[in-house]
Amino acid sequence: MREPLLSVRNLESYYGPITAIRGVSFDVSEGQIVTILGANGAGKTTVLKSVCGAMEPQKGTIVFAGCNIRGCEPDWVARQGIAHVPEGREIFPFMTVKGNLMMGAYARHDRGGVERDLDVVYGYFPVLRERHSSQAGFLSGGQQQMLAIGRALMARPKLMLLDEPSLGLSPILVKEIFAIIRRLNQEQKVTMLLVEQNANMALRTAHYGYVLEVGRIVLEGACEKLTDNEDVREFYLGVKEASVRGKKRWKRTKRWR
Amino acid sequence: MNALEAQAIAIAGQSTVPALFWHRVTSRPDKVALREKNRGIWKAYTWGEYGEAAKAVGCGLIALGLQPGEHVAILSDNNKEWLFCDFGVLCAGGISTGIYPTDSPAQVEYLINDCDAKYLFVEDEEQLDKILAVRERTPGLRKIIVFDLEGLRSFSDLQVVSFAQLTALGETHARQHAGAWEGRIGLSKPGDVAIIVYTSGTTGPSKGAMLTHRNIVFQIGALARVGLPVMDTDEALSFLPLCHVAERLGGCYGQLATMHVLNFAEAPDTVPQNLREVAPHILAAVPRVWEKLYSAVTIQLKEATALGRLAYGAAIVLGRRAVACEVANKPVPYVLRAARAIADWLVLRNIRIALGLNRIRWAITGAAPISPDLIAWYWAMGVRMYEVYGQTENAGLATSNTPRTLKIGTIGQVEPGTELKLSAEGELLLRGPHVFKGYLNKPEKTAEALQDGWLHTGDVGAIDSQGFVRITDRMKDIIITAGGKNITPSEIENELKFSPYIADAVVIGDQRHYLTCLIMIDHDNVVKFAQEMNVPFTNYASLCRAPEVQALIAREVEVANKKFARVETIKKFRLIDQLLTAEDEELTPTMKLKRSLVEKKYGPLIQDMYAPA
Repeated sequence: MREPLLSVRNLESYYGPITAIRGVSFDVSEGQIVTILGANGAGKTTVLKSVCGAMEPQKGTIVFAGCNIRGCEPDWVARQGIAHVPEGREIFPFMTVKGNLMMGAYARHDRGGVERDLDVVYGYFPVLRERHSSQAGFLSGGQQQMLAIGRALMARPKLMLLDEPSLGLSPILVKEIFAIIRRLNQEQKVTMLLVEQNANMALRTAHYGYVLEVGRIVLEGACEKLTDNEDVREFYLGVKEASVRGKKRWKRTKRWR
Repeated sequence: MNALEAQAIAIAGQSTVPALFWHRVTSRPDKVALREKNRGIWKAYTWGEYGEAAKAVGCGLIALGLQPGEHVAILSDNNKEWLFCDFGVLCAGGISTGIYPTDSPAQVEYLINDCDAKYLFVEDEEQLDKILAVRERTPGLRKIIVFDLEGLRSFSDLQVVSFAQLTALGETHARQHAGAWEGRIGLSKPGDVAIIVYTSGTTGPSKGAMLTHRNIVFQIGALARVGLPVMDTDEALSFLPLCHVAERLGGCYGQLATMHVLNFAEAPDTVPQNLREVAPHILAAVPRVWEKLYSAVTIQLKEATALGRLAYGAAIVLGRRAVACEVANKPVPYVLRAARAIADWLVLRNIRIALGLNRIRWAITGAAPISPDLIAWYWAMGVRMYEVYGQTENAGLATSNTPRTLKIGTIGQVEPGTELKLSAEGELLLRGPHVFKGYLNKPEKTAEALQDGWLHTGDVGAIDSQGFVRITDRMKDIIITAGGKNITPSEIENELKFSPYIADAVVIGDQRHYLTCLIMIDHDNVVKFAQEMNVPFTNYASLCRAPEVQALIAREVEVANKKFARVETIKKFRLIDQLLTAEDEELTPTMKLKRSLVEKKYGPLIQDMYAPA
């Protein structure tokens, strides 16, 4: 078997005295979309921030394309080919749309390549071409999310980290964004690590998944398997066996098997 | 039993549970009886309120048509309503039965039909769903009463009544029929069945042990008889399931004799916090709880500073030495006494505070075998722990260690007023006012258990010259290897459980050439170990598979093996790679592995250990 593109082992991160993730291990193979599911505060964002270098984990190893990148500066990590699409989009609101996209290519020097990629991004997100000269802050939420993904794409990453791309978007836009994510993976061969609360969308999009609870991985498996898992169905997909009374409020204990 | 003897069994002149309860309610109405945490605040209930609530429940049941001698079941975690209902039922002349909240709908159906319960109390929506799923097959059941209506606002059903409706009905009934309540209380006779306690039933269906008022009133006087003092200002924590005989007799009914204050733990997983908040004066728990507290200390210690570890080590050694003198009834040398006092003040006291054992006068362990080393550790820690022995069929206590008679590693001497002897096969036999009336609907099982007035406990043991009893094992659990050697698995299992990384173990080897063992790891502590040692894992199964974890457990097994002869050592082991919860059939409600079930369920794993290499 080939070495996974990203391989995280025993990652531990703290916010001050509070442990956010406690010994998390997972793999992302090249060409895959891997998702990490979890409730609020499970530590999903912390995992991504630790991978991209924005946070320095206290323990563990993060091996990307054969070298340990744990504790490296985020700009250096980005140059190695990891692009982060942060939670809440975080575009530069006072720059133009095109300016934002070019920020994604900041570290690149092949002007011809950048031009071609700009076209590719515009191809995926025609609305960005239409509004390329307007201020990014004036875009709608969905367009901003597209811009954030486009900006990441401009770095020609080997691995894209997507933090809750569905956040605050209407169901139709969520569908659209996820369709594009799937296409980017298939057509542009971008490997993706996707963190989501919208478990339904994430499981349909990704190939492999991990369930994170209070800083620990409790379950892993191929997405079809996870979708069939009793606990995932009840706690993440909201599927409930109807009780005798027709509805049921209580939840049984999680077992993760 | 003659009339004179029956007369003698009374507390405060009362010889039935309802009479004694009502005597306490009327004689000390303003004293605190119970405490329950409500929205983060411990709320106290006096004996007067306790009595009022029980009366409302009891009269409500009478109004609904409960006849004396009919059965009522309670399906709930420990809370004040549990006790209100229990005493309501008993005072109204009914017989009450507890059902474990972790039981499945099928088990609930079996229990209700077995005791022919006419009324069922359920805690909440979750427990209600269990009975609704099977109620077509429980034709005897008249009404279901729900404590907590959360999530049931839009639900209505002719058979289902809320707890508030029942008590309102009861209050009206009590006003209209003055004296009816007291009349019902006077109806019970000491020889009548008061409660049914179902044994966990490791093989076959659960058996309902019938305990009479006489059994209970006799047994709640046991603490006083053996010399374990309780004061009416003492605090106790109720956290073992009330369906279990230990908590029912020791906690709920024991309070009628000793009048201490009972505090309810919020939930099974908040017990450590509640323990710290309540800091009980007296505490009875099962070995699993004591093992957990001990491993919490050992694990915490690994994170302590070198100085802290050194101080702890020294303090425990001093404690052990002093205890060795005390246990042997020898005076403790002055130097040692002084050194221990300092160590206690600097180190041990703080550990006791952290555990919530800072006010403890004495502690009891029972209901399962425990490692003598663990008891010695608690003594060294400054906690006076007494091992007791008993079973459902004798309503709790049968033998106990006491402040006057203590021998660690034994289950103590026979309870005063009762008899104990060994059968020809070495089985412990009990006789006295504590022996139960028999199993409900199971005459042949009763005939097996009760022969010529002697209760056959199923435990094999020995009695030494001073009358201290040592239990070897359950009779049916004793392993005879292919080499013909008799081995008592529980001794080995206890040694294994002493490790903070092993929660429970089942030793196998009957008719085999060597011993093997299935191990359930202590999830929290092993996860902690994996994290510290940088062992990558994802879920429970992958944690169990990790070579480092396997090696860790192998080391722990080796440590235990050193204490045994060669034939008694564990040659191979396997980890149970599923996280088991109380809902799983493999575990008893007190979280012990059920031997026969585990052996059956993990058959392939066992075969694998005996497969030729």
